[in-house]
Amino acid sequence: MSDMQTVLTDFVKQELAIGRSQPIRPEDDLLSTGVIDSLGLMQLVLFIDEKLGIKIPDEDVVIDNFKSIAALTGYLEGKKTTS
Amino acid sequence: MGRTARFLLSHAIDDWAERTPDQEAVRFESASLSYAELARKSSQLAGLLTESGVQRGDRVGIYMNKALGSAIGLYGIMKAGAAYVPLDPLAPVDRLRFVIGDCGIRHLISQPEKVETLREILMDPQGVHSVIGIPEEAGLPAETVAWETVFSMPEAAGGRAVIEQDLAYILYTSGSTGVPKGIMHTHRSGLSFAEWSVATYGLRPEDRLSSHAPLHFDLSTFDFFAGAIAGATTVIIPEALTKFPASLSKLMQDAKLTVWYSVPFALIQLLLHGNLAARELGSLRWILFAGEPFPTKHLCAVMSALPLARFSNLYGPTETNVCTYYHLPGLPEDAEAPIPIGRPCANVEALVVDGDSRPVVAGETGELLIRGGVVMNGYWGQPDKTERGFYRRKSPADTQDVFYRTGDLVRELPSGDFAYLGRKDRQVKTRGYRVELDEIEVALLSHAGVEEAAAYPIPDGQGSNLIEAAVVPKAGVHLTPHQVIEHLAGRLPPYAIPSRLVVTDGFPRTSTGKIDRRALQSQAAPVASV
Repeated sequence: MSDMQTVLTDFVKQELAIGRSQPIRPEDDLLSTGVIDSLGLMQLVLFIDEKLGIKIPDEDVVIDNFKSIAALTGYLEGKKTTS
Repeated sequence: MGRTARFLLSHAIDDWAERTPDQEAVRFESASLSYAELARKSSQLAGLLTESGVQRGDRVGIYMNKALGSAIGLYGIMKAGAAYVPLDPLAPVDRLRFVIGDCGIRHLISQPEKVETLREILMDPQGVHSVIGIPEEAGLPAETVAWETVFSMPEAAGGRAVIEQDLAYILYTSGSTGVPKGIMHTHRSGLSFAEWSVATYGLRPEDRLSSHAPLHFDLSTFDFFAGAIAGATTVIIPEALTKFPASLSKLMQDAKLTVWYSVPFALIQLLLHGNLAARELGSLRWILFAGEPFPTKHLCAVMSALPLARFSNLYGPTETNVCTYYHLPGLPEDAEAPIPIGRPCANVEALVVDGDSRPVVAGETGELLIRGGVVMNGYWGQPDKTERGFYRRKSPADTQDVFYRTGDLVRELPSGDFAYLGRKDRQVKTRGYRVELDEIEVALLSHAGVEEAAAYPIPDGQGSNLIEAAVVPKAGVHLTPHQVIEHLAGRLPPYAIPSRLVVTDGFPRTSTGKIDRRALQSQAAPVASV
């Protein structure tokens, strides 16, 4: 797992997926299992801004970029190289 | 078999199936069902349910993320003479088990994505015999029937002898004690609301209604049944999309929605993150909201962002669906004044009474009591709770002279509209004084840096309460509890100032999108001195 994947996975596990005992793998679906709800999404976007220094524009807050840790990491790494 | 009189919720789709068979009834992503298809498929489902042993008056659960199958499920279950019971697709297993056991559900409509949870639910001898919507090979300890099998069935012959007084659906909601109550609605109460909606909002076949609320939230009865009565199209919004405002606003634009109905929270999210300025939403002519008071300053912002739509506030506990309404005449002039809940709907009688159930003088505060077509039958399996929830006005000749106690405080304004003043149980005693928790929340919201606020009582173990509050600051604003308390000190009497205040990133929400104050209360630290 890359550093960014680890950071994101740890955040999701500690802050959003409270009470879930299973580990969260990079490809796991975060949405249909309810791990991320509206509040969790806002917290995640805020965390990425404050701790990773990446501002995600509203238009990029879409299912494809948030459906899994792997998808999110892919999107963020793409943003880092273009900014 | 033409029919123009509607006594059952399912009559609407059968009616339009004859008049406009190819008209789109329900859409989900790129697929849709015409009225003819929806009428036929729901009749086929009714046939299968009957064959599986569903009797008139039974309860059949719907446990899935909304899709075309949900619409087929709603009508198919009702055509079989049973009541549909929507189960929150995100509910924990214990909650699902409770509802299934409480009202004796033996059949479920579900989907393959739920197989793992179904395996857990079906582990105990719950009495669930069969699950429709799951392929036969899924290996669940229950009979599973795929949709393909349903659609190879003949349509139910003639249909059961269902009448308007029969149960159409049961909605489970948490009571103030935390134990869920099954609110029973009949075809009559469902139709009473749906017909009023169609008349009030001028719904017609060209309309395209959002289906944003989950099925276990009563806003959904507008989305589906008002849509069906009008012969209009209901556009199901995929559950995942409801969390992504920019994608949601894009769908609203591309689907050319004309009517939107949701809790205020969803509209505020669209305003803040939905990139509305980049969307073409001119087709939206009505925006309806319900479920929670809409803070006026936020409503003004939403109204300014969507200037072509008319806005309407709908009020009513799940027990009465919608019983009063208020069309906003224009942008509110006073951003501090709460939005009224308006006047009783047609076919609704309202009373405002004091603590002895006597009508108050016009303009005085009292509890709102409701009588009329929209009122529930009662709480499933709870005759005592049901009895306590109603007030019998003493007219011995009239056994129908029964009012539902909303538990909400209102006051009639000079305009004839009702103002909502909060829950009766939102008045709490603290340090010997009565305080209105809602008044504290209004004072918190009046701080320019506060986005959302909640005030709640923490019992002190001595018959009284301490007041705690939590606020969410606006994006980019830094707030300290001290700053907010200072702000309150200029607005509230000393005994109404919370003894503890937390600044937080966001509030826990209930499955219907409202602030979960009970969760905030249970998260609160043990009573300590300030």
